[in-house]
Amino acid sequence: MPRTTAVECPGCPPLRALSFDILGLVKVIEARRKQGGVPKVVERWGDPDSSKCVLAASIDDRETNPVFSLSLPPLSPIPLCVCPTVRLFLLAVARKNGLVSLVPMTEKGYKDSCFFHSRSQFVEGLSPVSGELCFSISDTDAGTSPQDDPIIGLHLFKRNRSDSPSRSCTLLACMTKGKASLRTVEISKNGSASCATKEAWSVCSSGSICCSKVNGDESHSVFGGKGVELNMWDLEKTSKIWNARSPPKDSLGIFTPTWFTSVTFLSKDDHRKVVAGTNNHQVRLYDISAQGRPVLSVDFRETPIKAVAEDSDGYTIYCGSGSGDLSSIDIRTGKLLGCFIGKCSGSIRSISRHPEHSVIASCGLDSYVRFWDTKSRQLLSAVFLKQHLTNVIFDSKFSDEEIAPTATDEVQNEVHNEQQSEGEPEAADEEPPVKTKRKKASKEKSSGAKKLKHKKKKAKKVEASVEDDTLDYENE
Amino acid sequence: MGGKGKRREKDESINEGGDEFNCKPSTSSTETKKQKQILPSTIKNKEKRSEIHSKLKRQKKLEKRKKLKARDAAEKRAIELGEEPPARQVPRTIENTREADETVCKPDDEELFAEIEADEFSAVLKGERVPKVLITTCRFNSTRGPEFIKELLEVIPNSHYYKRGTYDLKKIVTYATKKDFTSLVVVHTNRREPDALLFIGLPDGPTAHFKLSKLVLRKDIKNHGNPTSHWPELVLNNFTTRLGYRVGRMIQSLFPQNPEFRGRRVVTFHNQRDYIFFRHHRYVFESKEVKQANSETKGKDSKPEKKSEDKVIARLQECGPRFVLKLISLQHGTFDSKGGEYEWTHKPEMDTSRRRFFL
Repeated sequence: MPRTTAVECPGCPPLRALSFDILGLVKVIEARRKQGGVPKVVERWGDPDSSKCVLAASIDDRETNPVFSLSLPPLSPIPLCVCPTVRLFLLAVARKNGLVSLVPMTEKGYKDSCFFHSRSQFVEGLSPVSGELCFSISDTDAGTSPQDDPIIGLHLFKRNRSDSPSRSCTLLACMTKGKASLRTVEISKNGSASCATKEAWSVCSSGSICCSKVNGDESHSVFGGKGVELNMWDLEKTSKIWNARSPPKDSLGIFTPTWFTSVTFLSKDDHRKVVAGTNNHQVRLYDISAQGRPVLSVDFRETPIKAVAEDSDGYTIYCGSGSGDLSSIDIRTGKLLGCFIGKCSGSIRSISRHPEHSVIASCGLDSYVRFWDTKSRQLLSAVFLKQHLTNVIFDSKFSDEEIAPTATDEVQNEVHNEQQSEGEPEAADEEPPVKTKRKKASKEKSSGAKKLKHKKKKAKKVEASVEDDTLDYENE
Repeated sequence: MGGKGKRREKDESINEGGDEFNCKPSTSSTETKKQKQILPSTIKNKEKRSEIHSKLKRQKKLEKRKKLKARDAAEKRAIELGEEPPARQVPRTIENTREADETVCKPDDEELFAEIEADEFSAVLKGERVPKVLITTCRFNSTRGPEFIKELLEVIPNSHYYKRGTYDLKKIVTYATKKDFTSLVVVHTNRREPDALLFIGLPDGPTAHFKLSKLVLRKDIKNHGNPTSHWPELVLNNFTTRLGYRVGRMIQSLFPQNPEFRGRRVVTFHNQRDYIFFRHHRYVFESKEVKQANSETKGKDSKPEKKSEDKVIARLQECGPRFVLKLISLQHGTFDSKGGEYEWTHKPEMDTSRRRFFL
């Protein structure tokens, strides 16, 4: 018999995730309870093109979106079967060719055919083919091509900034060479987007930025990179409020060069605690109210930390390394809570925590998006997406509407449950006899040595010996 | 009681010995059954054991031959009657019972083509850059290492050997990039025996680390040939998954893309169960006279018509080294042992089955 391993897929809770890859494709993965929680690729946006490689992505999933909600009701020639209830979200994607595209999504994704056909009419700014809104964000006057100075960090502000006009959204973009800028993107009636730079500053003079992050209430952001110590900026005043100090030389007098590869805020509402992963496999905790040096530093495996994500409980940190090891660390004590084991063979580029369920998603160079349970650290399921992936994002507003308990569903569920409940006792029934047999066998063996005989066993033994006798007779 | 019975059986088997297997089921069916179950390995007397073993083996062989004969006869009969011959059974091998793998490339996948178009080797494989290979070694290199490199230089056209000296590999990578090399091959030697190969794509291609084993040099191959300096043809077999495609393309980028067929040289990389077998051959087409004696003509005509026909056959002559590679890791970017990002590494938890393959 071929010894095969059935992939045990306990299935995910209903969720929707977006994955971004090096060919610039955005893939929507949905897991619905109806399908047993097996995530599937529902949609693919864009055409494969290597120059459109996604570098960063950010989603704006607040309840009301001023950008499109204004234009929605009057401009709806198609009967508004979905429109009154539809909420639009914005997705910002930074690409390798220096373009940033805004993608509007509905609660149901693009799948909604009514929305799909009339998308270009709903939202004027969109080209009807791609449904995207592209604009360039790189500075043309600096004379650098976008390939030389790619965007490394992108954040789409959820909070509407006070002085911005209503049909606009705000972006924080950060380039590799240290140029950070706050921009407002205005969408005009004729469908073009104009991008105005509100504030621009330089984060570092030398080195290259590798990571940036904006905290939960969008007041502060932190940058770090190769040869750039972590620094934190106040986005209201655009001033640097804190800079990390380089760690001291070690006992041998060797100075390890600064190289931050990933950074995150420890909790949503506290901007003072920052966790960073370094290229020399360390996870560090910084507290800006304490000092410039790390409060805690934990070594993890042998390969660089490529992704760091925080849990909502405020102390668990998930970190992924360059050789595909994913683990959770309690950052209060610096203890490794456990590793996520699941045949993950390629470097992990991005980790994302689901806002409600205890699920994290990881993706990376092995072109799988994997969903893990954070409590049991079990692999829930994996989806193969063909290319090297750069980013994964959860859509928090996904509602699994189809699971609204219809009568047939409930019956089916019940039947299924019954089957399960029936199946289990059977299995339970099957197992014990085996055990008892084994016990008997072992006891029989041991009884020979110990010469302890139970009554029942004695009877059985007699039977057995009688059988033997009969056989012997036959032989003779 | 039971134990006693067993001992008696054994005694019998030793006493009766040879005629045990020839005996007809005249006595009683239960007895023969029991006797047939005795394995030769349980017999303690060596002579007896080997005797019975050989007898068993011969019996099996005869049975098999009989079965084959019956099958062939049935097939022949079916063909004569004009029926469909019974379907031949396909033996179950590890390869054809391979675990289903979703990463196996499909021929109509546009994303695959887009990725291939964009990857690091496309410039070389499209012929925009001429492959130029730098071969170097690890720091200590002796006995079989230099000989192996001498043969590698003959296998890979436009390859140049540089002494390693005491340079860092990262320095060599930058040097080779500056000198417009397209790939770098490092032969690693341990205990005076080549045991690993490192392929580095330049300038930003991936780094593949292979274990090298079963190395046989040219002089140890019987009736070996000597290759010419023509550009060889390349055969890549069984690279099916995404990872396999990538490794295959990496190997492909070492060789010129337009072989000189006059040279009649073939270099083969054959993947089987994740082991990549390397062979280097020369071939020749020869016309050979074949006597044709058709059975149909024989039956009809009284004179057996002797017809000789020139049939072209291909003959192979092996030359060059012979070795086996096994992928250990594929790293994104050029060689960086500390800060490297892996596209694929082998981990023990991935060995869940004998039938799971990655290439």
